Amino acid sequence: MRTSGIGTRYALYVAALALALVVVALVAAGFIALRQLRVVQADLREAVTAARAKDDERALDGAARYLGVHLFNPLYQLDVERLNEAIEQTRAWLPVVSFLVVDRDGLVLTDGTPANPGYGDGVEGPLPQDESAGPILVRRGSETEMRFRVAAGGVAAGWAIVALAEPPWQASLRRLEEKRTAELWSGHRTSLLSLGALVLVATLGLGLLTSLLLSRTLARPLTEMSRAAEKIASGNLDHPLTLDSPDELGDLARALNRMANDLRAHEEALRAERSDLAAKNAELERFNYTVSHDLKTPLVTIRGFAGLAGTDLVAGRNEAVRKDLGRIVAAADKMHRLLDDLLELSRIGRVVHPPEDVALGGLVREALELLKSQLERKSLAVEVAPDLPMVRADRRRLLEVLQNLIENAAKFTGTQRRPRIEIGWRMDGAERVFYVRDNGQGIEPRFLERVFGLFEKLDPGGEGTGVGLALVRRIVEAHGGRAWAESAGLGHGATLCFTLPAPAEAAAVAS
Amino acid sequence: MRVVSALCALALAGPARAAAPGAKAVTVRFGVIAEEPNEPDRMFTVYGPFVGRLRERLAPAGIGVGELVIASDLDDLSKRLVRKEVDFVLESVFPMLALRERSRSLEPVLLVVRRGQRAYRSVFFTRQESPIQKLADLRGRTLVLQALRSTSAFALPRAELARAGIPLVAADEAGVDSGSVRYVLALAEVNQAVWVLHGKGDAGAFNEGDWAALPEKIRARLRIFERSRPIERGLIAFRGSLEAPTRRKLEEVMLGLHQDEAGRAALTRASGVTRFERLTQVEKQAVLAWAPVLLPMNTR
Repeated sequence: MRTSGIGTRYALYVAALALALVVVALVAAGFIALRQLRVVQADLREAVTAARAKDDERALDGAARYLGVHLFNPLYQLDVERLNEAIEQTRAWLPVVSFLVVDRDGLVLTDGTPANPGYGDGVEGPLPQDESAGPILVRRGSETEMRFRVAAGGVAAGWAIVALAEPPWQASLRRLEEKRTAELWSGHRTSLLSLGALVLVATLGLGLLTSLLLSRTLARPLTEMSRAAEKIASGNLDHPLTLDSPDELGDLARALNRMANDLRAHEEALRAERSDLAAKNAELERFNYTVSHDLKTPLVTIRGFAGLAGTDLVAGRNEAVRKDLGRIVAAADKMHRLLDDLLELSRIGRVVHPPEDVALGGLVREALELLKSQLERKSLAVEVAPDLPMVRADRRRLLEVLQNLIENAAKFTGTQRRPRIEIGWRMDGAERVFYVRDNGQGIEPRFLERVFGLFEKLDPGGEGTGVGLALVRRIVEAHGGRAWAESAGLGHGATLCFTLPAPAEAAAVAS
Repeated sequence: MRVVSALCALALAGPARAAAPGAKAVTVRFGVIAEEPNEPDRMFTVYGPFVGRLRERLAPAGIGVGELVIASDLDDLSKRLVRKEVDFVLESVFPMLALRERSRSLEPVLLVVRRGQRAYRSVFFTRQESPIQKLADLRGRTLVLQALRSTSAFALPRAELARAGIPLVAADEAGVDSGSVRYVLALAEVNQAVWVLHGKGDAGAFNEGDWAALPEKIRARLRIFERSRPIERGLIAFRGSLEAPTRRKLEEVMLGLHQDEAGRAALTRASGVTRFERLTQVEKQAVLAWAPVLLPMNTR
């Protein structure tokens, strides 16, 4: 049992895709809104900063002038301890980030810390030299660096470089911006989560719907076809798929049905061939037995009379020797005829002449002409149906069939004083049945099939080798037809029938 | 010996804690000398927590601690001792001996351990590239010292120079011969070092703890060329006429100040005191023996 069908999987794909698209859209919308907000914030900040810049500069100028005087005495006296105290005190009223006191040589004297790591370092950048000049103000990010002279009475003891953190109003503005941005983003996030939850439910519903749809249109037919394929694989070919869909699934179902039908047909053909082969094997066994038996009989005769001939020759019985030799010759002739018939029989299976349209009436007349003397000798009356149809067959072989059947009827007239032969045809369903009927001695029902056996002779003393009717059946079957005997029993005459396919069917058989 | 003394003090402190009802209220006062320049706020900042802690610890014994007394100099403080306006002081050896001599009423009782040091030495230093290699090379040159009442950054260097037969005179004094060493006062140890580096003096002297505390970049440009004999780091001295029970209780409380967090914080604020230890008789004699060395006639 599968835990995840194709329908469920594709539904999940669709749901995930839809969800991802919506989330991306929401995030993008949030990003755009946030960016717009930042632009507005930047404009506001710029406007406020411009308005406050002059005030800031004035304040910083005042701070620089005060510190310039306040630091003069300790710097002039190189009183680092008092400078450090002054720096520490300055931190109480200015947002000092760093504070460097520089001596007259431009070297750092103290940074206000006990470790004083910058002591003796030169400072980079300009230092104000002119007494009347105000402090040099440099903006570095959010910090402002202020450089001013530490001087009194026109005498400079050195300089101070003070880095100040952003002024309180600027920090407040920034905090306000950050707060508002955070609130906006938080609100957007909440909206995003709400919408996300809504979208999740919607996409789950969509996924479920898609799953059902795909299950009906794709998964179920596929499952049915899978089961049908399994049945076909197990040999069960009698359950055709009923799916009638105009798409690829329908094509696949039809292909499966065709495959099942073809397999069934092939199986039936194989079964028929196997049955035919079994019959042929049986016939071959009988043939082997019959041939060996019937060929042995003349040989036994020859061997026996050859011995007698020798004895008679020694005894000087010339007449007896002549009779013995006559029997040996007769046996040899019989053996010769048997071998000729066998050769003919085997040839039927191997030699096939191209079929042609043959007027059966004309062919019957030709056969009667060939047997004319035999028929006249027995005073047989022959009646031929005037409407014998056209057939498509190997003309020579069909002539042999007619000859054999007529000859067979002529042989077994029995004690009939007015022997008669009737040659005609009838429709048996869709099948054309041709027949040669006599009013002769007839055949016992139990021998109706046996008469078609090779070398089978119901009358052992009768004429012929017993190959004739076997030959008839062989030729008819080679044409795709059947041959059989009908008789009400001894004294009631016999009818030997055969069928031939219609000309169109005959063409198919020939091909 | 010290343990025995402490046990005796504890035993004697018992009755003082349980002051008898109706007993006369006692208030003791701690006196200090203002730094230069005289800024009382600094002194209150430094010694206020110490006084407050003492007040808390002595109150159960019925002993009050008055407001910190800030004297302007040695002379002022000695007069206040005489007038019994001050009962105990915390000073280094030189000012304590000077006060003892002037007031004739001061007795060293406890040893002050500062920044983990029970005793220290003064170091003489100069610039790395200076030709000065020994004390004798200071003749005719200027020595940067801290303040006149400093032990390690004035009195002890002066004593070491005197021991080497080199007189020390103020730089602004007229008629200084080339065999003497002139001195200037920088008021702070870090200033002494900076002055030497900036050429306001040829060498300086302060204690080895101050040397270790110098900023690395400043210390790297200087070198030590002489060290003094060791001397006790500091002393707690009581006014000689302070009543014995009060003195014992005061001793007991001060000896235990470092044993709790608040006490340790107060001691640290008071110029880096680590703890107090009872001064043994031998140590007391050793301290007093510094008097003729550190107190030349003209400073007495």
